[in-house]
Amino acid sequence: MSALMIKIGCGWLVAILLGIPLYASMGLAALVFLAFAGMPLTVLPQKMAGSINSFPIIAAPLFILMGNILAAAQITDRIVAFASALIGWVRGGYAHASILTSMIFAGMVGSAVADAAGAGAIEVRAMRRAGYKPETAASITAAAATIGPIIPPSLPMVIYGVTADVSIGKLFVAGIIPGLLMGLSLMIMVTFIAKREGMGRKTFSGWGTVLKTFLDGFFALMTPVVILGGIFSGLCTPTEAASIACFYALFLGFVVYRTLTVDHLGPILIETIETTGLVLVLVMAAGVLGWCMSISRLPQTLTPLILETIKSPLAFLLMANLLMLLIGCFMEALAAMLILIPILVPAALSYGISPVQFGVVMVLNLILGTIHPPIGVVLFVVTRIAEVSFETMSRAILPWLVPLLVVLAMISFWPPLTLWLPELLFAK
Amino acid sequence: MLRLIDRLIAWFAIPSAVLLLLVVMAGVICRAADHPLSWTDEASGYLMVWCACFGWMSATRKGAHIRIRFFMDRLPSGLNRLVRLLFELSLLLLGCMIAVKGLHLVQTNLEIEATSMPISAALLYVPLIPAGLVMMLQAVLDTLGIWQEKPAVQDKAQS
Repeated sequence: MSALMIKIGCGWLVAILLGIPLYASMGLAALVFLAFAGMPLTVLPQKMAGSINSFPIIAAPLFILMGNILAAAQITDRIVAFASALIGWVRGGYAHASILTSMIFAGMVGSAVADAAGAGAIEVRAMRRAGYKPETAASITAAAATIGPIIPPSLPMVIYGVTADVSIGKLFVAGIIPGLLMGLSLMIMVTFIAKREGMGRKTFSGWGTVLKTFLDGFFALMTPVVILGGIFSGLCTPTEAASIACFYALFLGFVVYRTLTVDHLGPILIETIETTGLVLVLVMAAGVLGWCMSISRLPQTLTPLILETIKSPLAFLLMANLLMLLIGCFMEALAAMLILIPILVPAALSYGISPVQFGVVMVLNLILGTIHPPIGVVLFVVTRIAEVSFETMSRAILPWLVPLLVVLAMISFWPPLTLWLPELLFAK
Repeated sequence: MLRLIDRLIAWFAIPSAVLLLLVVMAGVICRAADHPLSWTDEASGYLMVWCACFGWMSATRKGAHIRIRFFMDRLPSGLNRLVRLLFELSLLLLGCMIAVKGLHLVQTNLEIEATSMPISAALLYVPLIPAGLVMMLQAVLDTLGIWQEKPAVQDKAQS
């Protein structure tokens, strides 16, 4: 049956590249497999429903809902104001502030697109007003947005955790150091480019202003603390933390900042449901296709092949990184992840690589695909915000990929960067 | 008719999302109060499937599903049209299978009770039927749209 699955897999890849919706291509591949393998076709809807009928995956729609509530509550301005007051006075300060804003925003929303769309408009506007080239401002925003799915909460990590059967809490913690490193590496890059491009700096407005902007955005800045505090204290699971965070976001919007009205709720819920549908129908289709793969014993056929061909874990990580970066160029991150998990995770486990480390590596690899052509979703978002052409952006983003690739190499080849914190916090 | 379908999806989607949030929160509060509820995990799982299916239907109606257009957009207009027609027919087949086999699952599970709630386990599979039907409807509409396209208009749009 492995041979049948491989043949179907080839047809399926062609269908994906020719433009059929990704979920439908997976569903059709599963349908063809079931029909040719002589299995009951009721497996199709049964496994589709079964793959999302789990408590951990409920964190996904709830984190999407929280992000939408926070966006509608217009808390971004307060975070940008705080970041600008804190760091805007150094050379290239607006770029540094943009990265810091993305890092804070990453603790509230779990996706790069949400980060770029939410904070991006304000960041790009501020940088352009300060005299930055539009493509430079847009590139910094796009690169910083990739921190979104690495610092918890993270939608791709929820999907990875559910699909690869790995603790979502551990994955969240494992993303903290790499996320901070990404921010730091981008800031180092800004320092170099700021000198070369003669980026300006604004005068330091004093610690009083920093304190004022901090207090102004205090409750918004506490959102990551609410989420992570709940999970790490053992009080609640990531799903429960997501529901608490939704109510906290509603509290911010209705009571603290009074920027939300009842009229906002309908569009927020509709948008949440639509995004949930887009993401989870992929998980549903991948669930049934993954079941077909395991019935066909495809992972059991491929893993020994990989182990035979690649001898060391380091070589495997290098190959896996290259493969994921390549696939990330042509495929949407979540879809690519759902396809690659059943193939690469068993092999990674055979090499003794932690599934937690591999999860962070996989998410970062595939998220990098969102900021380079031809599919780069985040790149599309920021080109629209900054009103620059996609071709210009495709060139301008290249230098900003370098620090992110350095971080990717670091977390791939030095496991403590991802594993030290989860081992410390979950050792009890 | 189509507008009514879109409204129905929205009308069902909003309460499902609100219920999902409330049920998960109820589980947290009751557990914190030392009175854990046995049904919240299972109920939220069911609601999750409903929410996802409504989102799926809404995204299908809006043509928002993730797809790679890079290569298709570079095909010659005639071939492009043929490939899109084939894809719509395959989507029609997939939607049909999901609806029909989903109905079969509902019938099979009708008498089976959920583990922790006095409701039928078939409710888990019910939203797959309208999801399949909406998929079929959209495939038919898109097929008709492609069929009625004028090649010249398409060429102009591509250029």
